[in-house]
Order: sequence, then C-alpha cells, then structure tokens
Amino acid sequence: MNATTAEESAGHRSGFDLIWVGRLIAVVAGALLLLYPVLSDNLYYQNMIILSLVFAIAASGLSIITGLAGYVSLGQGAFIGLGGYTVGILATRHPDTSVWLWVPLAGVTAAAVALILGFVALRARGPSFVIITVAFLFLVQVIAINWRSLTGGTEGLSLPIPTWSRDIANWPFYYTLVGILALQLLLTWWIRRTKLGTGLVAIREDETKAATVGINLPVEKIIAFVASSVLVGMAGGVYGYYLTFIDPRGMFNILLSVETMLALLVGGKATLWGPVLGAFIVEPLNEYANNNLGGGNTRLLLFGGLLIAIVLFLPQGVLPAVESLVNWVRTRGKAGLVGARIGTGGSLSALTERLSLVERDPAVDPPPLLEVKDLHKAFGGLKAVDGASLVVPEGSITGLIGPNGSGKTTLFNLIDHTIHADSGEIWLAGERIDRLSSWSRAHRGLGRTFQITRLFREMTVLENVVAAQRSFSWGQLGRIAVSGAEARAAEDLLEYVGMRAFRDQKARALSYGQQKLVELAQVLMLDPRLILLDEPAGGINPVLIDRMSEMIRELNSYGKTFLIVEHNMPFVLGLCDPVHVLGRGRTMASGTPAEIQKDPAVVDAYLGDDFVLESADAAAPQEASS
Amino acid sequence: MTEFIQTLVLSLLVGGIYALVASGLTLIFGVMRVINIAHGAFLILGAFIAYTWWNQLGLDPLVGVVITTPIVFGLGWLIYRLLVRPIRHAPMSSTVLLTFGLALVTEGVMGVIWGNDSTSINPSYVDQSFHVGGVFLPKAQVYGGALAVVVLVVLWLILTKTWLGRAIRAAAANPASAELVGIKVTSVAAVVFGLGLAAAGAGGAITGVLYPFLPGSHYLWIARLLAIVVLGGLGSIEGAVISAMIFGLAETVTAVYISPAWATAVPYAIVFAVLLIRPQGLLGTRLRDDAVAT
Repeated sequence: MNATTAEESAGHRSGFDLIWVGRLIAVVAGALLLLYPVLSDNLYYQNMIILSLVFAIAASGLSIITGLAGYVSLGQGAFIGLGGYTVGILATRHPDTSVWLWVPLAGVTAAAVALILGFVALRARGPSFVIITVAFLFLVQVIAINWRSLTGGTEGLSLPIPTWSRDIANWPFYYTLVGILALQLLLTWWIRRTKLGTGLVAIREDETKAATVGINLPVEKIIAFVASSVLVGMAGGVYGYYLTFIDPRGMFNILLSVETMLALLVGGKATLWGPVLGAFIVEPLNEYANNNLGGGNTRLLLFGGLLIAIVLFLPQGVLPAVESLVNWVRTRGKAGLVGARIGTGGSLSALTERLSLVERDPAVDPPPLLEVKDLHKAFGGLKAVDGASLVVPEGSITGLIGPNGSGKTTLFNLIDHTIHADSGEIWLAGERIDRLSSWSRAHRGLGRTFQITRLFREMTVLENVVAAQRSFSWGQLGRIAVSGAEARAAEDLLEYVGMRAFRDQKARALSYGQQKLVELAQVLMLDPRLILLDEPAGGINPVLIDRMSEMIRELNSYGKTFLIVEHNMPFVLGLCDPVHVLGRGRTMASGTPAEIQKDPAVVDAYLGDDFVLESADAAAPQEASS
Repeated sequence: MTEFIQTLVLSLLVGGIYALVASGLTLIFGVMRVINIAHGAFLILGAFIAYTWWNQLGLDPLVGVVITTPIVFGLGWLIYRLLVRPIRHAPMSSTVLLTFGLALVTEGVMGVIWGNDSTSINPSYVDQSFHVGGVFLPKAQVYGGALAVVVLVVLWLILTKTWLGRAIRAAAANPASAELVGIKVTSVAAVVFGLGLAAAGAGGAITGVLYPFLPGSHYLWIARLLAIVVLGGLGSIEGAVISAMIFGLAETVTAVYISPAWATAVPYAIVFAVLLIRPQGLLGTRLRDDAVAT
C-alpha cells in the first residue's frame, strides 16, 4: 500500500525504481523457487523449502488479521493442524480415494472454524483477543487428544504413503504449496488494495473511530478472519500428507503459531512480501537449531530470544527497515512537505456530481433532521447526560454550547454511538436510530468529527479519506480503494479542504489544524446529511477559523445540516441558529443567538455578566447568517 | 456426601493457590496493562528453585518459599527494567509477544538446567493426611493452601496498608496524575512486576509439592491463569480471588465427576463463555477505550 502511493505521488523523486528493484528480486526468487527441485535433488533443502512454504502461507494469512486489522493471534497454527487433521481423518477413512481430493476440504474446515471463532471473538479487543486465540488453540488440542474415535488420540493418525514415482518424491507437495502460496499472496495483495483492506487498517488504527466512518466492524473482521485461514487450512492439509503422520502434540503445537508469528514479525507485518521473507529466514534457522544445536531447548531459546529481540529492536520487521533506510538515504537534506502551506481550498462547485445547491423557502419551518429525546448516560454515579433533548432542523447550522463538563461531547458520543446511551431516543430524518450501530448511523447520513482529532495515524491522508464507507454492500468491500473512482472522489474533497498537497503524508505527521481539515474531508466522504462538529475552531489559527466557518456556510448552502459544539462564542453566535445550551447534562435553553445571549440562566451559568459580543468582525458574520 | 465435602474442601485449598498466583497476573495487568504470558513459566521456575533447595539442602519446600519468593521478585524487577520498560508505551500486542518470548526462553533455560523430565518434590509429609470427621485431607494440600492464603494476605496488606501500596494503586488508576504527585511510575511498575512474579514463584513452590512438573507445564498454567483473570475481570484482584475459587471448584468437580482428561478443557471453555457473555468479567470494569480524553 505504502509502496503504491509512493510510486504514484513522486515518480520524479523516489520510490519508483525501488519498487522495480523489489519486483525484480521477487521475480528472481520466484523463478529459483520454481526451478529448485528440477535443478537439485537435495532432499534436505527440499524439505526445508517445503516447511518454509507452509509457514510463508500461514504468515501471509496471518498478515491479514494481524498485520492489517491489528488483531494479534497466537492461534494461527491451529488452522495448519485443522487442515492436517481434516485430510488425515478423511484419508484414513477412504483409503481408495486420492488424498489430494481432501485438500480443498481442509480449507473449508479451516474457514468454517475461523467463522465460528470470528463470531466468538467479535467483542474481544486487544488482550482479550490474544487470550481467546491461545485458548482456542489449546481447546482444539484437548479435543484432538480426547476425541479418540475421530482423531486416534495421542497415538495420532498415519496417512497413506504417496504412490507416485520416487524420482519426483517431493514434487507434488512442493508445487502444490507453491501454488497455494501464490493464491494466498494474491488474496492478501487484493485485500490490501480494496475498501475492505483500508477498513481493516482503520480498525487497527482506531476501531471506535472506524465504526463512525461507516465501517461495518463485525463483517470486516469476520471476513478477515476467514481470509486469513482458508488457504492456511489447505496448506496444513498438504503438510499433514507430506508428514504422513500427524498427532495432536505436533499439529497443534503452539510453536507452530509462534513460528508463524515470528515469520510475520521478522519480515514486516504490514508488508505483502515480509511474511514470505520471514518464513524463509525463520524456518531454516529452526532447522539449523534442530539438527546442529540439539533441538528441544535450543529451539525454545531461539524462538523466545528472537521474539524478544524483534519486539525490542526491530518492531517494524526487516522489509520496512530496509525501505526506510533507503528512503532516508535518498531524502537526506531535502525539506519535507509537512511545513508547507495549506492550500487555499477549492470550490464546492467542482464537486457538483455529488452536491447541488439547495433552495429553501424561509417562510416554511424546516422539519427536524435530528431529534434527541430525554437522553441519559451515567458513568458510575456521575450523570454525564441527564435528560438532554434537542432538535436540529433540516438545513440549519445548530450550535450546542455549555460549560466544560456539561456533557456536550458525551452527547455527541451518544448520538453517533461511540458510547451506548442508558435510555432515551434519537431520531434521524424520521427514523429511530438509537438501537443502531455506529456504522449504520453513518450510512443513514450521520457524520462526526472529534474534539481531539482521531485520524488513522499510520494511514496516509488519502487513505484516511477513502477509508470512509458511505453505505454497506458486499460489492463495495471489494472495490479498489487506493486508485480509481474512490481515490478521485477523496482527492476532490481534499482539494476542497485545501489538503490535496498532503495526500501521501502519514496522518500522524500533520499538525492539529491540518488534521481537523482532513477529518472534515473524511466525514464529507460519507456524504452525510448531518455533520456533528466537535470544536471545529478549537486550537487552530484565526485564518483557519475563518476558512472553517466559510466552509461550513458553503456546505450548508449545499444542503448539509450541522450541529456544532464550540467554545469560541463569536464563532458560534455568528454562525449558528438555533443555539442549544447544555448545563449539567440537560438542555437548559434553546433559541436564536440573540435570545441565548439575553437568557439570564445562560448568562449566569456560562457566558457571565460581562459577556458582550464585541467588535465588528463578530457582528459581520452575524448579519450574513440572518 | 463425604466425598462431596472432601471435593469441596480440596477445591477451596487449590483455589487459594490459584488465587495467589492469579493475583500476581492481574496486578501486573492492572498497573501496566501488560498481559504477562510468562507468568506460568515463572511459577514453574519457583517450583524448580524450591526443588533445588529441598533436593540439595534438605530444606522444606514450603519453608523455602521465604527464599524462593525474593529470588523471583528480584528477577521480575530486573526483567521489567531490562525488557518491559523500553516498550512500555508500545501497543499492548508488543508486550504480549515480548512476555510470550520470555516464557519460551524461561522454558528453554529451565530445560537446560533441570532437564525436561517430570520432577516432583516429596517432603516427609507428602503421603500423610488429616482425618476430620471421615474426610481425608492430604497434609501437603492443607499446608500449601494455608501458606498460599498467608502470602496472599501479605500481598493484600502491602497493597492496602503501605505507602507503596497507595503508590501502586495511584499508578494503576492514573499514571500521568501519579507522576504529578511525585510517584515515579516506572519504579512502581518495576516493583509491581517483581511482586506479581513473586506471587507466581511462591505459588510454584507450593504447587511443586502437590503435583509433578516439567518446564513445558507452564502452558497448562498460563491457560488456567488467563482463564481465572478473564473470569474475574482483568486487573481486579478481588475478582481474581473469587474466580480462582470458582475455578478450583469447577476443575475438581469435572475431574471427580466427569473425567480428568476433560478437566484440562475447563479453562478454555470458561474463557470462551466469559468473553461471549460478559467480556469485562465478574468484577472488571469495561476499559473506557471508547471515550475521548478531555
């Protein structure tokens, strides 16, 4: 993903030939891999390559769930074992049928188990997930040991001996595994380029935020789970056949999972080729430790030591380390883009395919777009939102003000389901949405920015914007995200907010104000009817504040409704009508800016006696809005 | 009925030992958000150290807890300083992988030093029992369970009655604020890591007397311990103690009334059930990873 964007952005500068060097190495390595059994009949090395292939497939599969989605699984080895046992059990029951027939079924078993595990693990994040995967592996092992009638228990199963010519003894295993690896890499590569892939990375970076930009978490996570295991199950089937003997201690050994994880980490967990490279580094090391250093304990010390060393000294893995070294050498002494000026911004009229001006009859009261009724949320004994009710009329720019701690951000969190409300109702465009997930609310036209910006830090600006999914469909998940129509739409929005020049920067490299603009573009990608802005003018410079209110007005004239939380009074009172005032978790006043400023309760609780909306620059926008 | 009472009492004694070891694991998580996968390995290490005292010097392994515990504490302190501290700001997955690597290395080192065969500690009282109203209670179980409770109470007193304990709880509740009021969080964390591992070491010295062990036994232990702390609620010591008791009971009952082979599946079944039904465990609070700090 990184490589592609680098290639597109800066053909004149860097990335381009590096890509080709990488591709050349991959082609040469691939050709060598294909030719090796023909060129050499050294069985020791053939065996080593066969095992490396199994781990390369397992690690590439793991890179989908761990590398992209960020869920660390120590149970990946179980899918190798499940595949092996599927083939083993079927082959011993049907001695007259070709064993190869069962290999696809091994994939089906793995996928089915992954599907179940995916459902079980849906609610588990971070440490709980790791624990689930370990428990899963051990549980499968206990079942394999105890369900003797099916698995033969600890005595294991002996598979039929291959019947083909001894001259090509390992070839069928070898080339089948090469084929499965090719399929796995294709699958991983494809997922990385799709909306599904950007969604998974978004989940890794910030799962809660990902839900608010329309990413359907359970569906994406379960697909990732299945995609990371199906071909691994097939590889496990071939592996079992190759071994001709399988037992629970071997096939469900946690060291298989450890070796897979190591291959992924050594190569680079967020890269396409890293897991393959890692497998071809780790497995030969493992063989060497086994044969030359006494195996057993040495192997444990090797794996354990390598795991510790990688986490401490090379957390990114070999490939990214090489890449950043090369980039460092190239860009040394050149100024970065991060300090560049923000663009003046494009015009919305460039986006007319997506937007059109809205005519409104001022005489008719607009219908409510958002209605919040008697919403409650308590954190322990603290009632953060205590019976808040408010209405946002369609086409309005509604303000929400109130003292610190009055529950404004919590109210936003309840409206977009970042936090679950205790009770109360939320209606959007006549539909009750308080039982819906964040992504369903986003698909119904709710967009939201955060007070402290929450961009996906390790994604580029462009990827941040394309990650948003304005509706859910299976077809959309497979759409290519990093180029084509999706990317063009995102670029148009970046142009509009003035951030197009930064499209290939990592979001973490941006200043706070720049992040606010990108987050706005990201929300606009949802094509929302209602946009919740949490302190759009907080912590940014005055020029940007003016630009922000200009954009809000322009978007509003194109039909977007806004609900804005803001402490900058000239900004709010100049822009918003109506304004709601929140105090102690409930709505204490609502009305036009003029009414709010005169409301004694509001003046007492929030604005203060000496509040005067002074100076001409505050008065001017007020006129413009009325 | 007698058999049932015997099962009950034995499972509570075992539960006491589980409670001690699991408290260490959940304490480490509570303060530094680290899941110490090496916890089971350090339990086995404690057992081997106790074995060595008993075997070489004829020291009673349960009395040897006094020596085993400080050694493992020191190791834990050192490990935090050298390995965990450098990545304390890294994502949780990094520390999980790190402690997993640590578990493998510890297993390997134990295999090199003590060999990979099953080892047991057999003090003089190992075959003796107390007879109370028709109920047979093996002396080793009774001494071991009682000792575990004593160590657990000491740990609890340290956490609730001392300045160190208040510092630890402050660091767990809010590391940034703890720094502001003069608590050096990394120093506290090093002590906590030592204390947590020491609890595992003490538990190991006790279980070493009750069951045979080998370096590879740590997988069984870590699975069991993770299940206990997940059921109790990650980070909650009270939860860990309650769930350890439930766990001891569930395991013993399964072994007695169903089959010992399936007793090993209990932990995994519990993990799945808890995470499906009540992910925050019995007494855990859901981590507020969803709220934006203001």
